[in-house]
Amino acid sequence: MKRFLSSMIDGRGFDIGLVSLPLAFLLTLSGLPLLYNIVMSFQEVDMFSLGSFWRPFVGLKNYRDLFAQPETWPILANTATFVAASIAGQFLVGFGLALFFWTSFPGASWLRGLFLVSWVMPGLVVGAIWNWILSGDFGVLNFILRETGLIDGNIFWRSDPGFSLWAVIIANIWLGTSFNMILLSVGLSAIPRDLYEASELDGANVWQRFWTITLPMMRSSIGAIMALGLIFTLQQFDLFAAITSGGPNNASNVTQYWAWDLSFRQYDFAKGATISVIMIAFVMVASVVYVRSTRHEVRG
Amino acid sequence: MSNVSRDRLLLAVAIILAGIYLFPLYWMYITTIKSGSEMFATPPTFWPTDPQWQIFGNVWQSRNMGRYIWNSLAIACGAVCVITVLGVGCAYVLARYRNIWVDIGLFLILMLQVLPASLMVTPIFVGFSQIGLLNYPRLAVILAIAAKSMPFFVVLVRATFMSVPQELEEAALVDGNSRVGAFFNIVLPLARNGILVSAILIFMQAFGEFVYSKSMIQAVELQPASVGLNSFMGPNTNEWNNIMAYAAIYVTPILAIFVLLQRRIVSGLTSGALK
Repeated sequence: MKRFLSSMIDGRGFDIGLVSLPLAFLLTLSGLPLLYNIVMSFQEVDMFSLGSFWRPFVGLKNYRDLFAQPETWPILANTATFVAASIAGQFLVGFGLALFFWTSFPGASWLRGLFLVSWVMPGLVVGAIWNWILSGDFGVLNFILRETGLIDGNIFWRSDPGFSLWAVIIANIWLGTSFNMILLSVGLSAIPRDLYEASELDGANVWQRFWTITLPMMRSSIGAIMALGLIFTLQQFDLFAAITSGGPNNASNVTQYWAWDLSFRQYDFAKGATISVIMIAFVMVASVVYVRSTRHEVRG
Repeated sequence: MSNVSRDRLLLAVAIILAGIYLFPLYWMYITTIKSGSEMFATPPTFWPTDPQWQIFGNVWQSRNMGRYIWNSLAIACGAVCVITVLGVGCAYVLARYRNIWVDIGLFLILMLQVLPASLMVTPIFVGFSQIGLLNYPRLAVILAIAAKSMPFFVVLVRATFMSVPQELEEAALVDGNSRVGAFFNIVLPLARNGILVSAILIFMQAFGEFVYSKSMIQAVELQPASVGLNSFMGPNTNEWNNIMAYAAIYVTPILAIFVLLQRRIVSGLTSGALK
């Protein structure tokens, strides 16, 4: 006992104690639910069996039922569109802004940091603001688009099935651009300046310098940011809850909202768990790519 | 072009870009103080003709915002406490050693960081209801948020500990400090700022958390402000000035903290997240 105590205060035990307690906490509250999720996806769960662990085992029935539902494939397609368009928009706008703020002028870093407000705001507040901006008759975005002649009539962003998904994508691009921009700025500032001086002496113009120095040097940052973007867009839930609630008629529904909707609106916990398992498996693959691409940095 | 005028031009462009980007925020504040009829005017006014300042007090009263904000604060403080107490030690050990076990621990933590809350809420809800934790819904939400955000905190704080020179700690050990003493007297004070900034970031996230609270807290008296805002926004609402006032009251403290600590937050975030 005494040896144990002195090890806790002054030896290996101190480190092991410090690290094992939080890991145990994480494994209980993230690892166990993860396993439980998989178990539930093979069970029949209803309001009556919700309270017991031993529920009827149904094999792959939940998975078969899920893919037999007519809305499953459109929702998966929506998810793909949402992820691809959000990442592309966030990355392009963020990269453009990062390149602009890379040219040093007084106040550049302060103004650049100001962009991050979108990232610290509660997702629901961002959703509420965009819900109002995108409103059909009185929304300010429709007004601006009309005045600049881009559209003739009002677009009903939230209730038109052709636009409702794009309404959320616009809000999500706004939300994620700043984060992309800050991380890309970090990557840009790590490129040695003398590379540019040397190529300037060799007579390379701005475009050539961008394609032959900036992009290749940024390859690992860009890879990490793409993977992070995938992870973050698949976590986006608040904007759907605040802008469209997945409507109209699932036109803007994506898997991460649908899983919640199935569990907590339709009380079909088994289906909710099933779709969660599929998506979590997908996110895990993405994060392995991310961890591998940043492994050198993480190890420090 | 001379250097000074180039700088001025770039600064002007930068301010315009920032203005475009931050327009949604401006629109929130401007809509708040518009009257009911001005809000729906076409063309919309970009500067209110008749500012309605009393709206903040009215919305605070009628939506019972004091209670919502109090719940948000309680949840966020609870989550930050749990995360800091557990996460700091974990980050310290992961920063101090470099072997296969540390790599495995880091990998586990990075993998747990990416789990989407809206997908994890189903098993957490069912599990919590089975062990009776849902009778204490705010505690349940605090635990769920802590599990969700702790990996991010550990990654950020680990970067801070990496920048504390190990020689200082070794010197303290040579001088007769125990490991515990060296940790609390030398390492923690040196890493204080980084820990504080990370804790503030976690606090902001937890203050705006929505999925867990919406799913696990049924009683209106215990719901945080995000859930209150969600129930305020019905499908066909037209009280946009009131909703924006609610949003403004909710978000202004966070914006104030952010603008005050902007430099530290940005540098803390960039050092931890990608480097």
